[in-house]
Amino acid sequence: MAPQVAAVGMPLLVCAGLRKTFNAGLAGARPALDGVDLALNRGDFVVIIGSNGAGKSTLLNTIAGAIEPDGGSITLDGRDITRLAAHRRAGMISRVFQDPMIGTAAAMTIEENLALAEQRGQRRGFASHLDGASRDRYRALLAGLSLGMEGRLSTPVAQLSGGQRQALSLIMASLSRPSLLLLDEHTAALDPRTADLVMDMTLRIVAEQSLTTLMVTHNMRQAIETGNRLVMMDAGRVRDDIGGTEKAALTPADLVEKFRIDNDRMLLGT
Amino acid sequence: MDVIHAYLNLVPVTLSQSLIYSFLVLGIMIPFRLLSFPDLTSEGAFPLGGCVCAALLMAGYPPLLATLIAMLAGVGAGAATALVHLRFRINSLLAGILVFTALYSVNMRILGRSNVALFGADNIFMQINPAILTDMRLQVITFAVLIVATLVALRWYLSTQSGAAMRVIGINPDLAPSLGISIWTCTIVGLGIASGLTALGGALIVQLQGYADVGMGTGILINGLASLVIGETITGRQTVTRQLLAPVVGAAVYYQLVSLALSLGLQPSDLKVVTAAFVLVTLGLPMLRGRSPLRETMRA
Repeated sequence: MAPQVAAVGMPLLVCAGLRKTFNAGLAGARPALDGVDLALNRGDFVVIIGSNGAGKSTLLNTIAGAIEPDGGSITLDGRDITRLAAHRRAGMISRVFQDPMIGTAAAMTIEENLALAEQRGQRRGFASHLDGASRDRYRALLAGLSLGMEGRLSTPVAQLSGGQRQALSLIMASLSRPSLLLLDEHTAALDPRTADLVMDMTLRIVAEQSLTTLMVTHNMRQAIETGNRLVMMDAGRVRDDIGGTEKAALTPADLVEKFRIDNDRMLLGT
Repeated sequence: MDVIHAYLNLVPVTLSQSLIYSFLVLGIMIPFRLLSFPDLTSEGAFPLGGCVCAALLMAGYPPLLATLIAMLAGVGAGAATALVHLRFRINSLLAGILVFTALYSVNMRILGRSNVALFGADNIFMQINPAILTDMRLQVITFAVLIVATLVALRWYLSTQSGAAMRVIGINPDLAPSLGISIWTCTIVGLGIASGLTALGGALIVQLQGYADVGMGTGILINGLASLVIGETITGRQTVTRQLLAPVVGAAVYYQLVSLALSLGLQPSDLKVVTAAFVLVTLGLPMLRGRSPLRETMRA
């Protein structure tokens, strides 16, 4: 882990001038990130909205290390992680994907998935992957979430519903107490009722662990109701950053007015 | 009746041979099934193990050391395929072809000529107990102990934190980095273990048969795949233990079928087309019904 050089008032995450162009050199290649500056303070819950192609997912992927930026820097906890491999960031940054199939290992059991998540960021040696103590711990953890999974520890994740798999991904992402939690439209692939359940669970876990969170969403209602800051992205840049009382007072009408959003998917999401 | 009699006489020899081939089939199963990496290195790693071991035995090295070095050479071959794939982003099938093609020249250099008979050289079985080479029952028991010990070691490794991480890259490579699992490390280690086992099989078969041939790898991959598919039909793939047993069970059944076919008068040179047809039918039939045991792992 990085030494705790960061002063209390210093931001946890600083993205400075992040740039990324896919297929650079090809005709019509537009930057996905065109100089993104964004800072997250400890305990922030920042929601990012923006139309398709605004660069939201590219930004998340760059922070997670799945995409290497062409320029700019990412600093986490005072440490420059711009060129750090994704698997080396995993101890500090965890994420929940949009696709419930990506967030879990389907052919492995619930307890195996939880064990994998618990060892995130640690050296994996020849100690047993699972033991009685860890099983008891997972059973207790799942029982507290009343998802009906606590009695099914040895069930392969492939047999769970999409909602259960996404809930499990969320538990896995928070199990090793990351410094930063990334949520990439993690309720978008779920039916509305399940999406609400997973969102409620997200808020509870984030609050309990005081996790610093960055969430991408297409859902305007979610964007307004959730988090303490709202960041609007457009054409690879941060266009607006609303926090504090202004964010608290925000209504969907304000949002439409403010950003003159004409994206169909976003309006459908309200 | 003569045919049946001829076949029955061969059952113990074939069984003992298939136990040695189990190492090869394990070496094919690990990349194909545990890593979802269709790896063809075995076509070169099997003769590599045989040639390295034979060359060292002829040079007077102790058999155990020769066998271990042969195995390490296989580890190197597997790691080479992994690196070609990872570093240069070359398709996994092509990476394997590159490595086993290069290994043909390497094997030729190591052996000095295309085949060598190990007259008078010591071997690992004579060291353990010379009776192994003559007493069929003792031979089968010895090989069974070797393969069971290997299975136990692999089962243990796959239940460790490191082994579980390796399984993830085969199940869900998109998830692995976000769990802090290095795809590079797991692929290199996994292919290394696999080709090490394949080379061990080559080294043991050379010592059992008393000769090495640079061509001993030709078509070995299809034999191994055929064995694997037969084994999985019998044991299933639901658990790690079943997946580990499949190569051994499959090799035992496959080589008995081969022996039976030869007893019935099939020309040895026709064997490859029969095996290829068999693999095609086994893999093709389920695919026609919409599901294939290999399909998901073949999208390289």
